Amino acid sequence: MALLEVRSIEKHFGPTKVLKDISFSLEEGRALAIIGSSGSGKTTLLRCLNFLETPDRGSITVRGETLFDAGDRASFSEEAIRQKRLHFGLVFQSFNLFPQYTALENVVLAGKLREKDRTQWPTLEKQGMELLDRMGLADRSGHYPHQLSGGQQQRVAIARALALHPDILCFDEPTSALDPELTGEVLKVIRSLADQDTTMIIVTHEMAFARDVADEVIFMDGGLIVEQGPARQVIETPQEERTRQFLSRY
Amino acid sequence: MGVFSVVIGALNQGFLQTLKLFSVTLLGSIPLGLLICFGSMNRWMPFHRLSAADAPRGIVGRLCRILSRLRPVSLLTRFFVWIIRGTPLMLQLIIIYYGPGVVMGHSPWPGGETGRFLAAAIMFVINYACYFSEIYRGGIQGVPVGQQEAGLVLGMTKRQIFFKVTLLQMVKRILPPMSNEVITLVKDTSLARIITFQEVIWAGQAFMKGSHGYSGLLWPLFFTGVYYLVFSGVITLLLGKLEKKLDYFR
Ligand SMILES: Nc1ncnc2c1ncn2[C@@H]1O[C@H](COP(=O)(O)OP(=O)(O)OP(=O)(O)O)[C@@H](O)[C@H]1O
Ligand SMILES: [Mg+2]
Repeated sequence: MALLEVRSIEKHFGPTKVLKDISFSLEEGRALAIIGSSGSGKTTLLRCLNFLETPDRGSITVRGETLFDAGDRASFSEEAIRQKRLHFGLVFQSFNLFPQYTALENVVLAGKLREKDRTQWPTLEKQGMELLDRMGLADRSGHYPHQLSGGQQQRVAIARALALHPDILCFDEPTSALDPELTGEVLKVIRSLADQDTTMIIVTHEMAFARDVADEVIFMDGGLIVEQGPARQVIETPQEERTRQFLSRY
Repeated sequence: MGVFSVVIGALNQGFLQTLKLFSVTLLGSIPLGLLICFGSMNRWMPFHRLSAADAPRGIVGRLCRILSRLRPVSLLTRFFVWIIRGTPLMLQLIIIYYGPGVVMGHSPWPGGETGRFLAAAIMFVINYACYFSEIYRGGIQGVPVGQQEAGLVLGMTKRQIFFKVTLLQMVKRILPPMSNEVITLVKDTSLARIITFQEVIWAGQAFMKGSHGYSGLLWPLFFTGVYYLVFSGVITLLLGKLEKKLDYFR
């Protein structure tokens, strides 16, 4: 059984339909890259998975549990959504670290707010330190976001998302806001997560990265999935004309 | 007793009234401003259903569309803020103190200094709350939505996000414009002189006409300036310290 099952998601903002019948599934431990031109709905899809947008149609199922079903209003309540969204983690294009907290505090804040038993907090902090260490940031744990480079900030954001042990970690163009010389360090971290079989969905414009790191690729255009398949196949020998056109720009 | 100590005693008494008006205004207008701010940001649209696609054509349809976007709470609050910020505080003081007497034939305010203080304090609180509300609005809207979204994705409640994430960033943003208003308030308290509230300027001026057995003295009025200088100096220092405290993040 697939870890994630997305069925017939539709989303419109006012009269414009941004997602039209999106369906796909993802096996545990696999990395899925989503590519597509600007405005094709990639961000909106990730936001739907993370419940930042409510789809108008369709359903989202993780490990057989239906987290969202547009036909079932009960699954819309704020409290219900709050528990369910923890199945997903999201790393934003613009990091969105909390500026008034240090790197470590950013990583452990949400966990501490969930853990009423304060005697558990040192454990959370230890885990937070381990995560920062995995990101190569052990010596930066006490720094505030404005004291870190973009690449370091994004790595803190990845640690923060991992701290809650999501089933599926989503990235929305994690390197687009970075200077070219800083993208490498972030991509390296994501690559190592892939090597450790973290289930991931990565929206990216880095085609070589998608080809090498992702197991599967989805090409989106105009709110539709135009082509999907094994990463190497879609990127090197695309079947659809639109995919070919899009890839010829890279 | 010498002239000097008599004058200082009278000025001190006047300044005590100044301080009273100043602190009551701050204590009242800081929370009331938040309420007004929420009012002006209220998004309640009671007629939003009228914008449905099957709305009639022509003038009725246009009316329906305008009505559908109406936010009555926000509109009324903004109208009120416009009135208060668009007219002089001195005029407002005259109207609130003398107006009811003119309209109803007798003044509802208690006699003497109590009534004058009450009227002045109420008008000052309302006036400054309106200014503060606009500052708050800027502060709230100035915190990027990404902060809220990052909190949501980490499973925090709206409450936790407000208190643990956005509040401090808001405070940091509004502190400089708030400091300006507070310094202005120090000096604006003298406007209550117009309804013969016996603050420090009133006390100084009294020595020209005759007070405590002295008349024709001009220097006590000039000397009141020293009170304002010292007080606003102290306030500036305190607020500067507070701003410094929040300097650790950006
Ligand atoms: N909140 C919103 N309200 C209205 N329209 C929106 C909203 N969010 C997105 N859109 C529209 O939806 C479409 C898809 O946007 P989306 O951000 O999902 O695209 P994207 O594939 O992520 O593009 P990019 O590569 O530029 O990030 C765009 O046309 C956008 O203008
Ligand atoms: Mg996007």
